[in-house]
Amino acid sequence: MAAFIQLFVSGLATGAIYALVAVGFMLLWQTSQTINFAQGEFVMIPAFFVLWAIKILGVGFWPAVGIAVLASLLILGLLFKRAIVDPMLKHGVLPLVISTIALSIFLKEAVKDFYSSQAQPFQAMIPSEDLHLFGAVISSQSIFILLIASAAVLGLNKLLNGTRLGRAMQATAQNPSVARILGIPVERMIMYTFLINALLVALASLMISPIYLAKFTNGDTLGLAAFIAAIVGGFNQVRGAIVGGLILGVIENLAAAYISAQYRGAIPLILLIVVILWRPQGLMGRAEERTV
Amino acid sequence: MTPVLQVTNIRKQFGGLTAVDGVSFSVNEGEILGIIGPNGSGKSTLFNCVLGQLQPTEGEVRVDGELVTGLRPCDLNRLGVSRTFQLLQVFPQLSVRDNLILAGQEHKGSMGTRLLGARDAGLTEAANRMIEFFRLSHVADEKAGGLSYGQQKLLDAAMAFMAGPRLVLLDEPAGGVNLTMLSHLRERLQAINAEQNATFVVIEHNMEFVMALCDRIIVLAEGKVIAEGTPDAIRSNPEVIEAYLGH
Repeated sequence: MAAFIQLFVSGLATGAIYALVAVGFMLLWQTSQTINFAQGEFVMIPAFFVLWAIKILGVGFWPAVGIAVLASLLILGLLFKRAIVDPMLKHGVLPLVISTIALSIFLKEAVKDFYSSQAQPFQAMIPSEDLHLFGAVISSQSIFILLIASAAVLGLNKLLNGTRLGRAMQATAQNPSVARILGIPVERMIMYTFLINALLVALASLMISPIYLAKFTNGDTLGLAAFIAAIVGGFNQVRGAIVGGLILGVIENLAAAYISAQYRGAIPLILLIVVILWRPQGLMGRAEERTV
Repeated sequence: MTPVLQVTNIRKQFGGLTAVDGVSFSVNEGEILGIIGPNGSGKSTLFNCVLGQLQPTEGEVRVDGELVTGLRPCDLNRLGVSRTFQLLQVFPQLSVRDNLILAGQEHKGSMGTRLLGARDAGLTEAANRMIEFFRLSHVADEKAGGLSYGQQKLLDAAMAFMAGPRLVLLDEPAGGVNLTMLSHLRERLQAINAEQNATFVVIEHNMEFVMALCDRIIVLAEGKVIAEGTPDAIRSNPEVIEAYLGH
């Protein structure tokens, strides 16, 4: 039982990170039909912004975190939309998909060439301690991740459902042409979702890199996990992406321990196949609808 | 008196096809003008030119005497021109009330006011009045996407009136609405016309609806105005009968 609780909680923590990345992934799709196949690399990069700031600028960890968040907003939010999404989306969804795949390769290779191909140790935001709960040993990291991810999700929910800005963003996702006629600055609302995504991936990066170490290949698993989490939960719901992420994290962890660690990588894909066969709209999703 | 809407010599060409060919008309304050015509007569194109969704090839549009040709729909919206849609255009995942608040809101301001300003922008009361007026109280908190087609049409109309518009352009408000709902819709539109002294332009296929609702009607055929007059005059105009029924 103790082992189960341990695996469950650490699975939830990983799942919470998947959920954050999946929510960002889904927001971009809902408001601008951007399927971002570089989303995994977007999670890998901010950790390297931190390492780069520490190494090149010689600043401490926390200032480096600030710089990394700012760089993420500018590069993964603003620049990504202006330089890649805006020009490519005019030509349709498929050219944009290919462009984001190219971007993911570019980001990976850039980190490998200009920083290092070796996994880099990454400082955790809080010191790691073991907490004892019902005989299970739970890392303070896991609890910290769960708290931060919950706060991020609650904050996002408050933004989307509790403010004028959020309602305008929802209107943009549901019916951009009428939103435009009503005078909602649709382009700006879409830009905001890109900035929110940049914040979410930066947050995910800061939380997952101490566990996985910062490595240029981290995006491969994370991107796939976010994509699968979004589909499993239901592509048109924030809460779907959250549920999908949590389920994926927990199942992956339990399966690795109780079934086979070698098949760990296959579990998300099996889950994806089962959901697509049994409930193609996702666990929480509704058929053919768009909302944020 | 300056007409609320003055359309002068609007022409719209798509390549070699002239969809609207030199149409002029004006609408006075408080008037309900109907535009009818067979399919393909250029009604919707004319509407879209007036509303800034299409750029007319020639001609000008004035609202309250001010030249507005080519202004974007959202700028027209700010000038008090609103519209309803032929195909339903509500926000399906927002509640009826939120749809109305969204339609009535001034979408200006900084990130700060958007984030920290009152969520309803002080419009809940106005929205409730509109809900009451269009008799949508029993579905006020339901998601708009779950309403019946007729109810969504009512909501669409109610949204057009939320910002207290000078001029409302209604694009086939009766399309697909059942008979009971239809008389309700007509009666509500007439009531709000009397109450707000709002000016309407209506495109409609349902003759009975248009004849009962409008003060004056213009008839389009092949992009040109072929007749103009009161509903009774239009009903008995031989050119109109020919345009609709053919030779």
